[in-house]
Amino acid sequence: MKTVEILVIGGGPAGLCAALSASALGAKVLIAERDEMPGGQLVKQTHKFFGSEKQHAGERGIHIGQMLLENAQAEPNIELWTSSCVLSIYEDGVVTIEHAGQHVKVKPERIIIATGAAEKFLGFPGNDLPGIYGAGAVQTLMNVDGVKPAQRVLMVGAGNIGLIVSYQLKQAGVEVEAVIEGSSKIGGYLVHASKIQRAGIPVLIKHTILEAYGDGQVEGAVIAQIDECWQPIAGTERKIACDTICLAVGLSPLTELAWQAGCEVAFIRELSGHVPIVNECLESTVPGIYCAGDVSGIEEASAAMVEGRLAGLCAAVSLSYGGAAAQTLIDDAKQELDELRAGSMGIHIREGLEKMALKSGQPKSEDDTLKSKSFAEIKSTLISDGIATADDIAAILPTPERFAKGPIAIAECFQEIPCNPCVKACKAGAITMPGDINDVPVVNGALCNGCGLCISLCPGLAIVVVDQTYSEDMAIVRLPYEYVPLPVVGTLATGLDREGNALGQFEVKKVTSGGKKNMTYTISLVVPKALAMDVRGVSVV
Amino acid sequence: MKNFYDVVIVGGGIIGCSVAFELAKRGRKDVLVIEREYLTSGATGRCGAGIRQQWGSVLNATLAVESTHIFENLEEYTGYDRSCGLNQGGYLLVAYTEKEWAQFQKNLQVQHSVGVDSYAVDLDGIKEIVPHINTEGMLGACFCAKDGHADPFHCTYAYARGAQRMGVDIETYTTVTGFGVENGRISAVETSKGTVKANVVINCTGGYAAQMAALVGDELPITPERHQILITEPVAHIMNPMVMSLHRHFYVQQTPHGSVIMGIGDPTEPVSHNIRSSWQYLEHNAWLVTQTLPAFRSLRVVRQWGGSYDMSPDRNPIINEAADARGFISVAGFSGHGFMVAPRTAILLANHLTGQEDSLDIQRFSVERYETGALLLEPSVV
Repeated sequence: MKTVEILVIGGGPAGLCAALSASALGAKVLIAERDEMPGGQLVKQTHKFFGSEKQHAGERGIHIGQMLLENAQAEPNIELWTSSCVLSIYEDGVVTIEHAGQHVKVKPERIIIATGAAEKFLGFPGNDLPGIYGAGAVQTLMNVDGVKPAQRVLMVGAGNIGLIVSYQLKQAGVEVEAVIEGSSKIGGYLVHASKIQRAGIPVLIKHTILEAYGDGQVEGAVIAQIDECWQPIAGTERKIACDTICLAVGLSPLTELAWQAGCEVAFIRELSGHVPIVNECLESTVPGIYCAGDVSGIEEASAAMVEGRLAGLCAAVSLSYGGAAAQTLIDDAKQELDELRAGSMGIHIREGLEKMALKSGQPKSEDDTLKSKSFAEIKSTLISDGIATADDIAAILPTPERFAKGPIAIAECFQEIPCNPCVKACKAGAITMPGDINDVPVVNGALCNGCGLCISLCPGLAIVVVDQTYSEDMAIVRLPYEYVPLPVVGTLATGLDREGNALGQFEVKKVTSGGKKNMTYTISLVVPKALAMDVRGVSVV
Repeated sequence: MKNFYDVVIVGGGIIGCSVAFELAKRGRKDVLVIEREYLTSGATGRCGAGIRQQWGSVLNATLAVESTHIFENLEEYTGYDRSCGLNQGGYLLVAYTEKEWAQFQKNLQVQHSVGVDSYAVDLDGIKEIVPHINTEGMLGACFCAKDGHADPFHCTYAYARGAQRMGVDIETYTTVTGFGVENGRISAVETSKGTVKANVVINCTGGYAAQMAALVGDELPITPERHQILITEPVAHIMNPMVMSLHRHFYVQQTPHGSVIMGIGDPTEPVSHNIRSSWQYLEHNAWLVTQTLPAFRSLRVVRQWGGSYDMSPDRNPIINEAADARGFISVAGFSGHGFMVAPRTAILLANHLTGQEDSLDIQRFSVERYETGALLLEPSVV
């Protein structure tokens, strides 16, 4: 039987970070990863991450995954097993793993369960037709296996996964007919919704799928509006022709091993279902078994990485590694988690964690500042379609005097999400957030020189630079761009408004690469001055 | 759930549900079945669900034969509209020792006396019945083609639904916390959902029967003992009968679906309510069974689980009325073969409670046998 100090189950963002933080304190770690490729969901996340620098905000998921993996491979204290499925955690603490064709027994001193989550499915007639996928599966086909998964897609669910995968489908040259969402508002980040609206993909809230039809494979779907009680409204049914239906209707924590190990598990709706009860150190009710990442509550990967780091630190400290300095690292990780969850998008997570804290017998001390904090509610229709209204724009519009002085950045970022790469990007210090990273950025016109560095660094592609001084009639709009083919300087490209409507053919003045790693281009379009606050997308197809 | 019933049955496994059905069938329909979780959530839903008539005592063989006849028509018998999954592929009991082989000869006589169509086969005969078996070390085997297995969930629900149609109430997710006894008679059942008055209480709680009986001051020599079991991925059908070795303590069968279900007995298993799984079991079972059936070596295990046997000193059921709480009757201690004898046992008890004649003497099952020494010794238990 193999003995190990810490066994990390799952080599995704939480697992890799757990292994790295624990090994850095000196603990010997074994990671067991079921897939042949570690990285978990990171291996297919071609989009840039939100959060702060500490969680690699502004970097693409795939690059973060590569970096974590390289770090783990370079760490002598980490042994990494791939294609190794953990089968069971037994009552005597022995863990069995299918590894290299053998039934291997491992006796760890600590276990960190970082198994992540699985996609939920949806019940409707025809849901067993070939062509119906979880959105994550389609993302894997595209971004890992390099397979174009469809020609025309209907996306069900406007959470971050539905929105992001729709965008990536569009990048892969797949038509997305619509994103439908049962709720009355968009669940994912609005900047993602804005991005796909600009690409001409409508987001339809208060809609559901009634059935999928087709002869032997999906040929289309019947969708309908739903009422306040989520019942279809008669007469609103309509057909959407498509060959693929993607379900992005939430995730379920993969808690099987925690159940099996005897960890106390509770149903906490805000954390997406049954989750193991953990304490502040992420230790479950079974001493020595920790849970990190989506397994104990669905959140963004940035939170999973910090949770992993925290669990790794706590597990190593419990084995007497780290000394006094480790406590600072633990406190830092906890503070980072608090920051990530402090915004309006973190409300349900905080509520869920409060329930969990009660169940674990460690009610959290009331954070009055957070409780009393009122979040800027988005009152316009932006919340339901991702399209900024005239009023939304008016609120951030630079003065005519400022426009007259030259180029200026305009951050169409209206939602309090945990993200601040724009602040870091601005060398002039013109972009600030009054409070924490959940605040919306404020551009100081007096300091902004219109350099445009922020354009390609904003993970939400929500910043443009407008120069109203280009000529008497024309302005330059500098826009982020992540499609192929690239516009060619000197040719004409189509300018799109916030809903993806073509506003005309405009000269491509400049094409700037964001760099090999950043991969976001900045396109300068010459547009009539009157359209400078309307052109927000560019297409060369 | 009303606040008074003629009969309250504690335990929603195959025993509790079949007793409810037989009572209702005989006119005692004012019956409540109380189950702590869901029907079959205890030992019934965890058992190997074998149906064997090849027993070594007349009493067991009789219970098994007559139960098998009921299993053969359980759907019609209970009015169940789905299949109870009976598959009569036979039981092949292989002998590895002279002592065992000699016992088998005696058992055959017992079985024949109560009409079991069983017979002995030599090594070639074994190969004919299970072509890919490794007969090394075997002396011979006994076979009964009418043995087999059934679906424990459907069988229990067949009884439960049939009983409900006759007016029986079933209350699941309800815990019994105590009993009321007045003037030496059972009078009430205290539950997590309130107190229910009752004339008769039947304790069908398997491995928990002794704890339950202790609540009315009755001592039962029944102890829980973990037994583990596993199931493999489904593959092409290559084996009809249940293959069983009393000497090596294993049983293995292939379901109609193609999955292979197997279990082993561990003579060192302690008394405990623990039904969690162990890797030691998994490895030992895989090794042991594939010695005899090497064809299963490459199968993948889909699942393993544990359940509780309700062990009695002579490994046979106890049907006993509490001395200080008349009307409190325990039916437990089946020691691993409760499923297969449930149909006939339920009839025996229901006949007794409705004043009807029965060819079997229910007194033989009382705990008195442990004082008088009239044990129901059964030589053939895994």
